[in-house]
Amino acid sequence: MTPTPRRTTSPVPAVRLLAPLLAALFAIGVTLLITYRIFGGETLEAVMQAINERQTASNDFAAILLVNALVGVSVALFILQLRRVALRVTITVIVALVFGFIMTTMFNLDSANRFIRGEFRVGIVTEAEPVEDETADMEYGQARGDEFNRPGVREPISEASYTFAGRQGDLINVLAYAANRRTEVDLQVELIAPDGTSIGASNFATEEQLTQFDDLQSERDAIIQGITLPADGMYTIHARPQDLQTTTILGEAISSTRTAYEAFLLGSISRVNRWAVWIQDALTLILVGLSISIVFRARQFSLGAEGQLYFGALVSGAIALSGGSLPVWLVIPIALLAAMTAGFLWGLLPGILKAYLGANELVSTLMLNTIAVRFYELVLTFQLQPPEAGYTASADFPMSGQLPVIVANTQVTIAVFLVIIAVIAVWLLITRTPLGYEIRTVGSNLKFANYGGINTKRTIMLSLAVSGIVAGLAGAHLGMGIHRMLILNISLGLAFEGVVVALLARNNPLVIPFTGLLYAYLRSGAQFMERDANISFEIVRIIQAVIILLITAEALLAFVQNRRKLAAPAEPGKPTTTMETPRLIMESSAGEKKNV
Amino acid sequence: MFETVRDSIFSALFLAAILRVTTPILLPSLGALISDRAGVINIGLEGMMLVGAFTGVVVSAYAAPNFGPELAPWIGLISACGVSVSMALLLGLFHLRFKGDLILSGVAMNVLGSAATVAILYELTGNRGDSGDLASFQMPFIQLPAFINDIPLIGGFLYTVFNNQSVMTWLAFFSVFAVWFILYRTPFGMHVRAAGENPSAAESVGIRVTRVRYAALALSGLFAGFGGVHLSMGYLNLFQRDMTSGRGFIALATPLLGGNNPIGTGVASLVFGFFDALAIRIGSLQLPSMLPQMIPYIAVVMALVIYALQTRQLLRVRALRSVEGIHFDANYWRVVSRISVLHVLMAMIAVIGIIISISIFSAPDGFGGPEMAFPIGVIIGLASVAMIVINIPFISRVEQLTARGTMSAAVSAFSLTVYFGLFLSLFFDTIPAVLVALVLAFTVWLVLGGWRLLRGSSPGVAAAA
Repeated sequence: MTPTPRRTTSPVPAVRLLAPLLAALFAIGVTLLITYRIFGGETLEAVMQAINERQTASNDFAAILLVNALVGVSVALFILQLRRVALRVTITVIVALVFGFIMTTMFNLDSANRFIRGEFRVGIVTEAEPVEDETADMEYGQARGDEFNRPGVREPISEASYTFAGRQGDLINVLAYAANRRTEVDLQVELIAPDGTSIGASNFATEEQLTQFDDLQSERDAIIQGITLPADGMYTIHARPQDLQTTTILGEAISSTRTAYEAFLLGSISRVNRWAVWIQDALTLILVGLSISIVFRARQFSLGAEGQLYFGALVSGAIALSGGSLPVWLVIPIALLAAMTAGFLWGLLPGILKAYLGANELVSTLMLNTIAVRFYELVLTFQLQPPEAGYTASADFPMSGQLPVIVANTQVTIAVFLVIIAVIAVWLLITRTPLGYEIRTVGSNLKFANYGGINTKRTIMLSLAVSGIVAGLAGAHLGMGIHRMLILNISLGLAFEGVVVALLARNNPLVIPFTGLLYAYLRSGAQFMERDANISFEIVRIIQAVIILLITAEALLAFVQNRRKLAAPAEPGKPTTTMETPRLIMESSAGEKKNV
Repeated sequence: MFETVRDSIFSALFLAAILRVTTPILLPSLGALISDRAGVINIGLEGMMLVGAFTGVVVSAYAAPNFGPELAPWIGLISACGVSVSMALLLGLFHLRFKGDLILSGVAMNVLGSAATVAILYELTGNRGDSGDLASFQMPFIQLPAFINDIPLIGGFLYTVFNNQSVMTWLAFFSVFAVWFILYRTPFGMHVRAAGENPSAAESVGIRVTRVRYAALALSGLFAGFGGVHLSMGYLNLFQRDMTSGRGFIALATPLLGGNNPIGTGVASLVFGFFDALAIRIGSLQLPSMLPQMIPYIAVVMALVIYALQTRQLLRVRALRSVEGIHFDANYWRVVSRISVLHVLMAMIAVIGIIISISIFSAPDGFGGPEMAFPIGVIIGLASVAMIVINIPFISRVEQLTARGTMSAAVSAFSLTVYFGLFLSLFFDTIPAVLVALVLAFTVWLVLGGWRLLRGSSPGVAAAA
């Protein structure tokens, strides 16, 4: 079946207009919102002023607006292409985000622990003369302290007692306070008379006391004020952190998770630099997603994008570094072409192995990825690394080898236009060319394709190879656009990210820009979350796993859908959009298909 | 420098090393085998191994103060297996209950395993690379009784190979027989095989396929957990980010190479273990370490191709059986199949040669500068291409093999001699090396039964005509 739902399915004209209208509204809204936020997002005047400053400083507001408009267009395409499924995709992502929120909250369960850990002091403030006693821990006017629940200690202290010699009738104040302003320990203190009875306790300090006693810094400190000692003898001050309430623990965890999630969800559009990080990452993800979507369309489960990307980066990097003899304007086109060729060839290899020799493409591409990475490391370490470099990386690319920047001081380059071309090219390839038709037919029914006279082996081989072209381009973008040099680990599992992008887009090339942007938004947001709130970046990869699980679990979605259908019976003639997830067939010993 | 490699490769210590590095491949391979036989191939092995490795280290570190260092690793092992089994069951839930795609759910498991371990590690230690800050433990190493050393002739050898191996290594090799017993001698194993072979037939005779598949997945998760624990608490004594480095994927290929049975899987794992250990040893040469590091992965790709070709030839021979009728000579066709795989193998080795020569050309500085590297690269490259060119006719068409047996014999003898000769001449003088290689080549060719091809075309066809 065609992947694109027809547009003339709604019987009522008003409803037919609804989606385009909605799409246009969303597109304009998103464009304006992003622009508004990255320039401060406070008042309109402030934003206008920020834009003016930007304009005088680097004169690239038009480029920023253009990129944002493209983001808006991708949103519109998402709505127009997927229609109702768009809602489902959105729900999937939201569910995964909620899951991530719960996970983060669990990680944050220890954030209330700052109330029970930290250095503290216990002091006695009085006007009375000190009582001399060698055996006492402290005397009037002194302070003693330790650290509660120090992390990493085998037997941490959770309470402390200090003795002092007291005289009948002395008027004293007993203080327990955090040793410095950073410490947030919530203390309680108790005074025990020589006969063992408690004669005073406190777990807070009032505003008034805070001003009266300099040592006290916050109301979490504790003071027993103005107590008259009943007898001579050895008194004990007993200090410990206050017990944590479950509500405190949960409240603290949720509130710190909310701070973290704010950075996660809004960090990418909080200023121009962060916005650029998002956009440049999205460009890579869109290319990788396109590459994955081609092989998924043919139902080949190839994860070779990773290796193809490494080869693309390597070849284009080598040309960018040594392109001195070429005319300056020719370096970039040649480097890009070389990257695409390298990706094509490295994709051809598993293609041949799969189509003509029958090797399982999942395992073979994963192995070929590792081989490609080792090869990349080999060349980088022994050939491209300048001898004086302290770490394994190539020299910086000369200006002729860097993609021209369109937003100053960022890595947002003309790769934006390359990506647009790539999206259109892949869309044309899939929907408008014989090869695309063959790929789709092979993907939907291999036997039918065979009977229909399609050279299925050639198609499978080419699907893997052609996807390498786009992946090679992604590698070139990583090298020449983002890092401007070749580094070790230039990609850590980008192929898996590409799987999410392609799956979310239902392998539709026109939707991939949106899903790539969406997923890059989460990825860059996670970076800022890690920086701002110290929550591990890996949260976003957990969310990624949840998204894959939720998308593939067709029955789970069908279950939800059925309930909706019961509420409102389905209209006939509605397009049914099936999942375009590929099915891998591992050959068994009997050589039969095992996927049931 | 080659002498040191020779001495270390032809030694009992090297065998001991093979056993050590085979363990983390063998254990998940058995898991892959069981799940594959049940028709639910577990792509998530890699993630489950990681989770197992991580849980083992963390739980043992936290259990040690309360349970003592003796018991802690065992508690770690049990909880590691518990977690990886529950992950396998989660995969089962999504595939069997929610009808999710098995492969994609498996990929999700891998992503989840890799991400969750790093995230939790970061939360616990503030370090995202490894668990060096945690006081971790290793599974006990089994010491052999000293009298084995005193057995004449082989005693010292056996003692060196098997002494001081981790308990997980012993477990792995006993598991081969345990899995064999489960699969072929218990009702459950019967059900597993039936569920994989033909689920609807199995269903129709009352086997609860879904339940069997859950159990098979759980077992594969268990073995993945064992493998992970060996990595972090036997092979090393800490958890490293993504420390499985593709072993979970290699494990998917070993059962294919091993003929989908436990014994073959064990042998195939030993082969990969050999390549792994070899890569480590060659790493001590003055070569870029990346080159030997590629070897195990290339070996997997070769294994995949050979397996696929073997399967295809089996089908072709089956077709011939009906054509030739009573004149069908099964032994003859078996030889044809073997020799054609031999040709594939020789061509694939030449592919390695091409990769090596490309590597030399791409990074001549790693191989002693352009003057020294380029001639070597040219020779290796040309020789590899030649090797592929002469072997390819016998790969693509079986008819070539049967019709031109003499050619095939000459080609295989020549190729084998070159390969053996190259390998041996690294360690010995050239002339004896070549002579030994020639003898070896002919032995291999005779053992495989290549002489039967000298007769020309198929005896069955001839007789039928």
